[in-house]
Amino acid sequence: MMPSFRSLAPVLVFAILYAAVSLSVTNSYYQLVMTLVLVWAVFGLSWNILSGYTGLISFGHAAFFGIGAYTTALGQIYFDLSPWLLIPIAAMLGGLAGLLVGFPTFRLQGHYFALAMLAYPLAILYVVEWLGFQEVTLPIKRENPFAYMQFSDGRIYTMLALAMLIGTILLTQWVERSRFGMALLAIKQNEAAAEAAGINTLVWKLRAITLSGAIAGAIGGFYAIVLLVVTPQSVFGMLVSAQALTVAMFGGVGTVWGPVIGAVILIPLAETLNAEAGTRFPGIQGVIFGLAIISVILIAPEGLFWKVRDFLRKRRPTSQLEPEKTSPAGVAPPIAAIAPATAGAPAKVIPPEDIILEVRGLSRSFGGLKAVQDVSLQLRKHAILGIIGPNGAGKTTLFNLLNGFLLPDAGEVLIDGHNMVGRKPHELCEAGIGRTFQIMRPFLRMSISDNVVVGAYVRAKTDLEARKLAEGAIARVGLSTITHRMAGELTTKELRLMELARALASQPRILLLDETLAGLGHGEADEVVGVIQRLAKEGVTIAIIEHTMQSMVRLVDSFVVLDHGAVLMEGEPEAVTRDMRVIEAYLGKKWAAHAQH
Amino acid sequence: MLSIDKLSAGYSAIPVLKDVSIKVEAGQFVAIVGPNGAGKTTLFKTISGTVRPSAGSITFEGADLLSIQPSRRAHLGIAHVPEGRQVFASLTVMENLEVGATTAAGQRNWKQNIERIFEWLPVLAERREQLAGTLSGGQQQMLSIGRGLASSPKLLMLDEPSMGLAPAIADFIFDRLIEIRRQSGLTILLVEQRVAEALESADHGYVLEAGRVVLEGNNQTLRADDRVRRAYLGM
Amino acid sequence: MTQFLEGFLQALVAGLLIGAIYGLMCVGLGLIFGVMRVINFAHGDFMMLGMYAAFYCFTALGVQTAFGNVVGPFVAILLAGPILAVFGYAVHRTLISRVSGTRTSLLEGEGHYAQLVLTLGIALILQNGGLIVFGSVLASIRTPLSSTAWELGPFFDVSVFVNKARGIDAVVSLMTMTLLALLITRSRLGKSLRAAADNPVAAIYMGVDVDRAHRIAFALGTGVTAIAGGLLATNYPFQPFVGLEYVIVMYAGVVLGGMGSIIGAFWGGMTIGLVQQMSTIVLPTQLQNAAIFVVFLLIIFFRPQGFFGRMVERT
Repeated sequence: MMPSFRSLAPVLVFAILYAAVSLSVTNSYYQLVMTLVLVWAVFGLSWNILSGYTGLISFGHAAFFGIGAYTTALGQIYFDLSPWLLIPIAAMLGGLAGLLVGFPTFRLQGHYFALAMLAYPLAILYVVEWLGFQEVTLPIKRENPFAYMQFSDGRIYTMLALAMLIGTILLTQWVERSRFGMALLAIKQNEAAAEAAGINTLVWKLRAITLSGAIAGAIGGFYAIVLLVVTPQSVFGMLVSAQALTVAMFGGVGTVWGPVIGAVILIPLAETLNAEAGTRFPGIQGVIFGLAIISVILIAPEGLFWKVRDFLRKRRPTSQLEPEKTSPAGVAPPIAAIAPATAGAPAKVIPPEDIILEVRGLSRSFGGLKAVQDVSLQLRKHAILGIIGPNGAGKTTLFNLLNGFLLPDAGEVLIDGHNMVGRKPHELCEAGIGRTFQIMRPFLRMSISDNVVVGAYVRAKTDLEARKLAEGAIARVGLSTITHRMAGELTTKELRLMELARALASQPRILLLDETLAGLGHGEADEVVGVIQRLAKEGVTIAIIEHTMQSMVRLVDSFVVLDHGAVLMEGEPEAVTRDMRVIEAYLGKKWAAHAQH
Repeated sequence: MLSIDKLSAGYSAIPVLKDVSIKVEAGQFVAIVGPNGAGKTTLFKTISGTVRPSAGSITFEGADLLSIQPSRRAHLGIAHVPEGRQVFASLTVMENLEVGATTAAGQRNWKQNIERIFEWLPVLAERREQLAGTLSGGQQQMLSIGRGLASSPKLLMLDEPSMGLAPAIADFIFDRLIEIRRQSGLTILLVEQRVAEALESADHGYVLEAGRVVLEGNNQTLRADDRVRRAYLGM
Repeated sequence: MTQFLEGFLQALVAGLLIGAIYGLMCVGLGLIFGVMRVINFAHGDFMMLGMYAAFYCFTALGVQTAFGNVVGPFVAILLAGPILAVFGYAVHRTLISRVSGTRTSLLEGEGHYAQLVLTLGIALILQNGGLIVFGSVLASIRTPLSSTAWELGPFFDVSVFVNKARGIDAVVSLMTMTLLALLITRSRLGKSLRAAADNPVAAIYMGVDVDRAHRIAFALGTGVTAIAGGLLATNYPFQPFVGLEYVIVMYAGVVLGGMGSIIGAFWGGMTIGLVQQMSTIVLPTQLQNAAIFVVFLLIIFFRPQGFFGRMVERT
């Protein structure tokens, strides 16, 4: 996808300005600083690709940086290879390292991931020291400086670094805009929901870390060329990892400009202080970075870029925001043309062969607790099935089993006759099962369209097709008029409909709705119920878990009642709500006994 | 003793309690029933302070509860026996009870309290050195109640004590509760799904549905009202 | 054969002695992680401050003149504990509490990331600030005990030497550990801490001031690790970046012991000490730290819940 002029313009402007400034610098130390700013900006961008977009914070990016640096340095010393060749090799090795590191480490959660990432560069550091590479100096090549990237004028390095930065920015922008970036953001927001929407989270994370490692390796190699001296601490040390993290976080996480802003502000500051006060206060650099990190995390945890942007957005009058198609009165029209929920919809006559989902003898225990016991049920095509039961009856566990989040101890889940047990959630999404979750985690800063398009990637080959599918889904739930509004400004009802749209974008045949009506008032719930009824008429089979019985009894064709993990009874709403066993399950034995007048 | 006035509360974007008003007089046994998602547990969490309400007030013995830090509320005399028991699994039974007695009143009356707790709930005495995490569900529920009693409370709040327990064990715990009430005259606020059991011994009952109080009354009036069943089952 | 046996036993003894100190070091971190579930990147640097505190107490503040060269160091080390505890309390009050505790534990998954980053920032400031204040010259707490040793044996031609300073270090460490264990298991404060660690929400219901419990845990953890640091300082010279060398030891020990188990962290640290010293039997000395990394990564991948904790992992 070609980047638009609007996004290229700032990059070009920045490049020209920076080039102009750096060309005017004559002091060789400051020329070095100009280069280093760009080096750390690129390193920060590489960190951003993994950690900024996925939310998996890496404290060990120095591993890739150092691998790149040593590859380039040792490659030149021992094999007399040119950096023009070595830097791409460094990139490859960095990417490979990323892949090798990512594969086992992504299995770890939270703290353990962070600690493991911290351990890698430090471990490599010890090995490198043991191998005897305490200090590696690149030989000066006077005969052919160009071939060995050794220039007497520091500004040439700056230009090279600028070229690398532009390349990285363009690459990052491409990632951001494509499904790559969207998938990563979806993983950051809610990994479970992303899986359920059809995104193969492991594969995308591996791609991210490979790309991230490659860029870090390349810039690490360049760093070695610029400084001509490589020591284990300077490329594998904790400060190195910390710097990648700091410039990205300070400037702004999850955005192209963040690391650039961070580097432009912090590096000259640190270097200048180091130069001026470095002899009296050695280590002033580290103190500055430490203070920067602390102030950022306490005051503006997402970085300068977002803080400023949010601030500017708030001050702009709303009429200047993206135009929405509102009615002349200025009030968003109600969800168009949805017939209100009809009470007591006539029972549909469906031939029994049209069973789309069958569950046979499904069981799952946790420790001693039987969460789901030998549950069997059938979902008929185009039907709406309500799954109800008192607290702890196993309803959500059942959904998790159907959706691939949990593996059953026994039993089968058959879709069109094929047993789907053991498949991962994104595979089940591909097979046609969509799901909404009780706790929503939308991309607050992105539009409805961006939030929904993530669900379409499993179905669409191109990003354009994905957008079309997304818009179609948004139309089905009736949110077309506000498709460009930011999720942070939506009401609960609109958020629920957006969730529904995301699940619909993958064109599911079966929809599992988990407490979609929670938190809605009576009127709002009726509207959403109307949407669900319409979806069923259009041909989607629906299973819904819900506590608000008022709405459910008018919506569903039949109920399955679970109690203590087992099926208590099935049937139509009238019959179920008056059945003694069901009353007993909900209200207790004594009530049921007494109520039998 | 406890007065909840037009309380509204929820989680992030989702409102759960809407405009709820409930009164508990000293010495009363008040039951709150209602289907899942009605907001019963949220109500308790608001009283205990782990959820901040968006509107309304709570007064306990004349003091504005909402202005008091959550960890101080127990010291006022409110004991919360949480949903799902929530015992300190890695501490022994005795240690759980000792932590329950963190309040000043609990410390003062420790000797008498522990005697009575062991008398009412003998299984706790038998297993006092056992790790709480290894107890059965019913035993943990009794420990949770004992822990609440150890604080020498004025108000005992129980959140769905029968949840996840076999009916026979739930019945047993209820009997113990009634016995404790009879002997101590404690004020009790009970949230339960088993309506009849809850209303049987209660002086007053409230029916919560979709975050609002839809019915209130005493045992007789509520028992005869089909609206209670409809609150749970929708029709 | 006897040479191998002697080497083996010597490594074993060395492992036990240093393991006792590592154990104490890990318990400090274990307290913080166990009670608060906070990963404290700056813990090694608090230890470094403890070393310097002990050093200055000993040399500049007159402990050496008052108590002499044999007892003096240990008095200084034990003084460093409370000093760092106060410092830790202050750091928690001003900074850490903003990203941990009851305020954030109720948010979804938030807090963890911020804690990691915040403590990283504190680490950077302490390390580099330390460089500015203390300089890069190696310091150590000299005691004549470190140049003499007790001889165990000879039994069947095999002798094992126990360096006197390290021996006493281990004893002091074990004594501190015992006191701490008694505090945690027997005292009311200890039970409140464990309750807050086990189930913070239920602890609030009981009237336990969980935020205060966190502050105390942080202060205690810092103080304890500072003492461990001081003990190390009698044998190994140190400089402001010494914390980095021990960060991985601390985390490996805590993870090995089971994140959440305070007492388990001690055994974890002990094990790491043994691994480090005994790996010299097969590996070159420079790689002994790499051995710790390998163990660390192996545990994280294959048994993240650790080995020694008796705590039922809180959900």
